[in-house]
Amino acid sequence: MHFPWWYVDQLTAPMLIAAISVIHVLVAHYAVGGGLFLAVETTYAYRTKNGDYLAYLKRHAKFFVLLTVAFGAITGAGIWWTIGLASPLATQVLIRTFVFAWATEYVFFLAEIVSAFVFYYYWGRLPEKIHAIIVWIYGISAWASLVIIAAITAFMLDPGNWRADHDFWSALLNRQALPQIISRTGGALLLSSLYVYLHAAITIKDAKLHALIESRSTRPALLGAVFIALGGILWYVFLPPSAQAALVAAPVLNVLMALLFVATGIVFVLLFLGPYRNPGWIKTPGFAASVLLFGIIGMSTAEFIREAVRKPYICYNVVLGSQMLTDEVAAIREKGFLESGTWTKAFVQANYPQVMSADGHVDRTRLLALPPSDRIKLGGMIFQYHCNDCHAIQKGYSPVAPLVQGWTPGMIRALVNDLDRTRFTMPPWAGTPEEAELLVSYLSDVSPARPAGMLPKDLKTGTP
Amino acid sequence: MMDPKNLFDTSLPGGMPAPIWFVELFKWLGFTLHEVPMNLWYAGIIVSMLLYVFGSEHGRQFGSRLMAQMPVIIALGINFGIVPLLFIQVGFGQVFYPATILMAWFWLSIIAMLVLAYYGVYLYAYGQAEQGPKMPRWKRAVGWVSALLFITIGFVFANAMSLMENVKAWPDLWQQHSFHGATLGTALNVADPRLWPRWLLMFGLALTTTAAWISFDSAWFAGRESDAYRTWTKGFAWKLYLVGAVWFAVAGAWYSFGTWPAETKQAMFLSPWAVLTVVTAAVPCAVLALLWFARQREGEISRGWASLIGLAQFGVLGVNAASRQVVQHLEFAPYFDISRQPTETQWTPLVIFLVAFVLGLGLIAWMIYQVGKVSGKTQTATT
Repeated sequence: MHFPWWYVDQLTAPMLIAAISVIHVLVAHYAVGGGLFLAVETTYAYRTKNGDYLAYLKRHAKFFVLLTVAFGAITGAGIWWTIGLASPLATQVLIRTFVFAWATEYVFFLAEIVSAFVFYYYWGRLPEKIHAIIVWIYGISAWASLVIIAAITAFMLDPGNWRADHDFWSALLNRQALPQIISRTGGALLLSSLYVYLHAAITIKDAKLHALIESRSTRPALLGAVFIALGGILWYVFLPPSAQAALVAAPVLNVLMALLFVATGIVFVLLFLGPYRNPGWIKTPGFAASVLLFGIIGMSTAEFIREAVRKPYICYNVVLGSQMLTDEVAAIREKGFLESGTWTKAFVQANYPQVMSADGHVDRTRLLALPPSDRIKLGGMIFQYHCNDCHAIQKGYSPVAPLVQGWTPGMIRALVNDLDRTRFTMPPWAGTPEEAELLVSYLSDVSPARPAGMLPKDLKTGTP
Repeated sequence: MMDPKNLFDTSLPGGMPAPIWFVELFKWLGFTLHEVPMNLWYAGIIVSMLLYVFGSEHGRQFGSRLMAQMPVIIALGINFGIVPLLFIQVGFGQVFYPATILMAWFWLSIIAMLVLAYYGVYLYAYGQAEQGPKMPRWKRAVGWVSALLFITIGFVFANAMSLMENVKAWPDLWQQHSFHGATLGTALNVADPRLWPRWLLMFGLALTTTAAWISFDSAWFAGRESDAYRTWTKGFAWKLYLVGAVWFAVAGAWYSFGTWPAETKQAMFLSPWAVLTVVTAAVPCAVLALLWFARQREGEISRGWASLIGLAQFGVLGVNAASRQVVQHLEFAPYFDISRQPTETQWTPLVIFLVAFVLGLGLIAWMIYQVGKVSGKTQTATT
């Protein structure tokens, strides 16, 4: 529409956002929780003059810096890269709304980077008090970053009053912000403890030191679990009705919700069985890795659900998955999808001049006069710009061909014309009836025949 | 024949959240700041690798020092890169998004290359710290791979930035790399004559920044090195800067005289922009002169002189970034004018950001001060 659409075979371009986001989130939450862990524990170790614990914390800080400052920062940039490529319109809306929130978050990020390096590289050279202040600067900056980013991502699920007043504060202080800040803070605390368990299990042999780390790390883990539960409940309570309905109606989300509850439950049970009831277990790298693995599964699933419940929106009630603004739909439908889109119109102008009117517009009445092969090709373009955000073609992520397998053109036509009424998780059809016919031609072309050999026979056609 | 003007969307939502001068200022400032560490990894790593193979003992010493500093330099460079990336999207989304989407896979590959290059640098830096000259060959090879990856990243960046301005090429690239009108993301702007000199020009500039860094590092951070090393840095920095400046001049001449469209030439070679063009071309000579004077003086380079060199090089990068911005506007002019976009300034968030920015810089200055205090003590104790 407004920008060229990037076709990624099988996966679809937005799934690249999901892939990088999930990887980033697993490190970014540790960057926050681990920073707070290092701040609290370094202060504690200095206060108790525990040299062994300090030595361990230094080793952990090296692992922490290597993972978060390098991988975390680059994958964070990777999210910027992918959202600009796969959702440029939504990115433009978000950037113009939140540029100063991001700029302020950038200041915290800069403070994070500098304090992380000073904390690690000047360990043992700075006075203890200053060293502890530096790591607290890191921890607080990292958490402040989390607060701002959580509020921005929460806007994508609940724009609050922003649609009415376009005010920055209405956007930032949306109803989903607090639940997501609470749950993400919990996730950061819990996940960081799980990283610490694994790191300690691999690197520490001293039983006494191990017991200390275990007891010190279990408290934030349990606190994190409470925050996750509280934030999760508030998140559900403040979900828009369509998102709540999607959780019930979409089979994929049913499965993911079940997976989320199971994975989170397993983490809680393992924390109870391990550090609480059988402190020795967590020393075993295999056990610690299992707890972390379930934590990662839980957090990845939660991120995927958070993204998926927004459908059909990229920004709820603002930008649709079909890469158009909700406010534009009526006008696009009136004017025509091919005519309204900057890139679709340019493509038609260059490749199908016969359908252009003398005054340079797409003449909808000429579309159906095109030969069948061209109708399919133009229908393919409409599919790309209207549907490929959520659907691959033949195989891959939610491919459309199997979804309409064996359908008659009439059935496909009914679906296209009533997309949003058929499934509320789909955007409304935003084209003219003639353009709908082009899409029907394309979908009929890619749709495989009904699988053979199924009983009872098709009662209407008599074919198996 | 597709008219590239038809590929500009004029119906994008919302206004600019800040005055245009503010967006331009932070885009320029952010890019200039980003250029300092970016130049060091762009040219510095390959220089370090070459010095290890062909350099003298002091040359190897400098290479080791720079590679030890590189993880921090890269982290800061990535961080500083966020600012121009943010503000380019605020003001120039209409050109930034289509250009990067047309070459999406290459643009995205930057992330993968950066992860590999960064960890490669870490591996090399830890290898030399822990194993010194006995570092195995494969780790040395990783250093070379990182150097080449950073140069490749520079090439992809030069592609994206030149494609942003090469709007004329969009229709053909799109048609050649498309599936049902969607782009495959496999286009590259290699047919653009501006791409190659631009890429090379940036490498020449990066060599000059690396040379200026040698002086700065020698005066400020190399207290534990021998007097002989610090004296050597004066001569080497001057020579490397000379190579970089000549490289920059040749590539710059090729870029401006050989590839600029007639309208751009006319604007940049006539008043008022001619002054900026002349300053951009001439200002590296000022740093070269400072390095030459430092070389002529007896003993080590002083901290004050090294700071002056650093500041002057920052000026070189700043002037270059300003010129780039002006040329960018001239090349966008037939298609897109940022000043025509409506502005709805978010004053309160803007002020909050500026306050946070000042406080943040203060906090960072305080941390650096603490580091300086203990570094000073260490150096005093060592001497």
